[in-house]
Amino acid sequence: MREWMQEKGEQFREHQRDGPNYVTGYQDKPFPSNPLFVSEPVLSEESREEIWRKVVQEGEAIKSVSANFGVDMRRVAAVVRLKEVEKAWEREGKKLATPYARAVMSMLPKKTLSKYREFEPINEIHVHSYTQQQLFLPTSESRHFTREDAAKAFGDRILPADKRVPHPELIALEKELLAGTSPEEAQAAFEKAAMESEVAAAEKDQKRRQQEEEQTTRVPASRFEFRFKEINVDDGGKDGRSRRGTGWRYGVPFYDRRRGEVKIPTKVE
Amino acid sequence: MKLRRTLRFHGLKKPRVRQTWNKYNLYNLANDRPALNTIRPQTRTFFQQKWAAKRLARGYHGEHIKERAWERMFDRRLLSVVNMEPAYMAKYDGSEQASGRGQGTGMDNELLERQRGVDKWARERGEKKTPYMQMAFAPMERRLDIAVFRALFASSARQARQFCVHGAVKVNGKRMKYPGYLLNPGDMFQVDPERVLFATGAKKEPSAGASDAVEPAAEAPEAEASSESEAPASEAEPAADEVTTESADANSPSPEDAAKAEQKELKALRDRVKTFLKTSFGDLSAKQKQALRALAKDIKTAMSKTRRGGDEVDTLSTLFSQLEVETKPPKDSEKYDPDAVDDEGLTRSERERLSELLAEEAENPYDPDKPYATPWRPRPFMAPFAFIPRYLEVNQKICSAVYLRHPVARRGKAEVPSPWGEMVNELAFNWYLRRR
Repeated sequence: MREWMQEKGEQFREHQRDGPNYVTGYQDKPFPSNPLFVSEPVLSEESREEIWRKVVQEGEAIKSVSANFGVDMRRVAAVVRLKEVEKAWEREGKKLATPYARAVMSMLPKKTLSKYREFEPINEIHVHSYTQQQLFLPTSESRHFTREDAAKAFGDRILPADKRVPHPELIALEKELLAGTSPEEAQAAFEKAAMESEVAAAEKDQKRRQQEEEQTTRVPASRFEFRFKEINVDDGGKDGRSRRGTGWRYGVPFYDRRRGEVKIPTKVE
Repeated sequence: MKLRRTLRFHGLKKPRVRQTWNKYNLYNLANDRPALNTIRPQTRTFFQQKWAAKRLARGYHGEHIKERAWERMFDRRLLSVVNMEPAYMAKYDGSEQASGRGQGTGMDNELLERQRGVDKWARERGEKKTPYMQMAFAPMERRLDIAVFRALFASSARQARQFCVHGAVKVNGKRMKYPGYLLNPGDMFQVDPERVLFATGAKKEPSAGASDAVEPAAEAPEAEASSESEAPASEAEPAADEVTTESADANSPSPEDAAKAEQKELKALRDRVKTFLKTSFGDLSAKQKQALRALAKDIKTAMSKTRRGGDEVDTLSTLFSQLEVETKPPKDSEKYDPDAVDDEGLTRSERERLSELLAEEAENPYDPDKPYATPWRPRPFMAPFAFIPRYLEVNQKICSAVYLRHPVARRGKAEVPSPWGEMVNELAFNWYLRRR
């Protein structure tokens, strides 16, 4: 080992250049025996700032930022969320871990946003477990068998790929382009549709919160706030043992605090 | 929870690759043949192969997690995704695959080839199938401690676990003390930046932190003698006696006591003032140089006084940092004349260099109180382990990350970082499949 350390290992002691330095010698393969894991580039510092600027300052829809730069929608939202925290820390005068950030970014592969080269595939759908088995469906030779028919064949409640993609607006855009609409017009229509879908989603969320708020009665006490909700006793089902029932029910064991039960929370809100 | 022992954790005789940034681990990772050879598919039974593969894989993937706990987490459903190109979706409705009596004739179109992953780019990269087996340990990546390690906030999974247990990790703004918390898509986790700097920073020199460790009561007469031997030297002019002081210090006997440690600290501070003077000599004004020299002299006096004790070091280092802050950036009035000299005797470029230097100092200051080497620098052998998988979005400045989604496999690559290839992961997957 000492020999290896002196000959080959020494180059890994201090990180000198900008960019990754893996044992394989390749830029994107950290594990010699696993070529199937790729160290994929991260968004550069400027790209994160750019995304934040587009969404927060210019008020663009997350969907259109995602489509224009080829960054996953969830990533766009996460970048904005993290940037907001960073800005808040700056305003508060909290110390950022800048030297650490600089060092880590110099060790990682980076990619800067561009309109012509996507950062990651954005229109991905999960492979549905129903579609992972072979299926023989006898049908006539002349039948025009589309994706929708395939979805129906695999199961009653499976949506076709066209409805499962995260960016159905992009498909509409391409369809308009095929129909002969000018690229500018199609792009404008896409931006509009993206904004509309975002507004609709926000409204839906708002409505849900409002509904929830209407159902709760808040009673402030000295240390706590008591929140009462309307509960229907029939939620417990016929035998009162349904999972949807609320709280402890007579004759139904409720093991949440028993010794040996897993008490790790399953979600944090 | 009682953790597994770590005897021969990074052993060289029976090497295992671990989730750490250790130097020995780097060697074991770079030379992983001996470990792989333990499987010996030619000569061993299927059971033996599975056992050996599972042992290798579990040695890396959450070795601190009990086998029973992992068996409960294991899931035989493996997630994968397919990219649906909007251009393809717009042009075709899927019926083209049934053309030519189900043969799919006329499929040699570039768009179709790209959608099916058989275009020339994919062929060049050798991307054919989706490596599902590489996803065998995907449920592990949901754990909070492993995610903290993957986001490069800790130097090992065990350290990440400790950060959780010690309350340094927050999930969605709330302290989460369970390392086994399974992250949900959209969860944001934050680690205390001080811990991250400690975990990823270089080790502190042993001399720098020694003053806290030893008690002042343990003063030895030799220490007094050594500090007295230095006292006359410190009274001489500051420029000439540097070498003599240092040599005297080096030759003097080194009993472990507070005075000695404090002297060392003072010496480090003085050296730092000196190097600062030397590196930015041209950039400093006469006044600043004078102030720095006065400070250097004060340090010397303090060094001779250390036998009396007292918190000289702290006051002096604060003085130094104050001095650094007080050296102001240039005024705007002389912006357009690059050779103009201001009242402090500096040209514009010099002033810029000075302010740059000062900004660097303010951002990454020398601070003997920290548990890591300051100014902060990354620990050695960190770069070969530095990668961030795509299911995390990390902001290093605030030491926070968002768990975007569960890791998935796509054509040609899998997102679960594993040192082992398909053979090992497939055998390990089969091992766990056996029981359910």
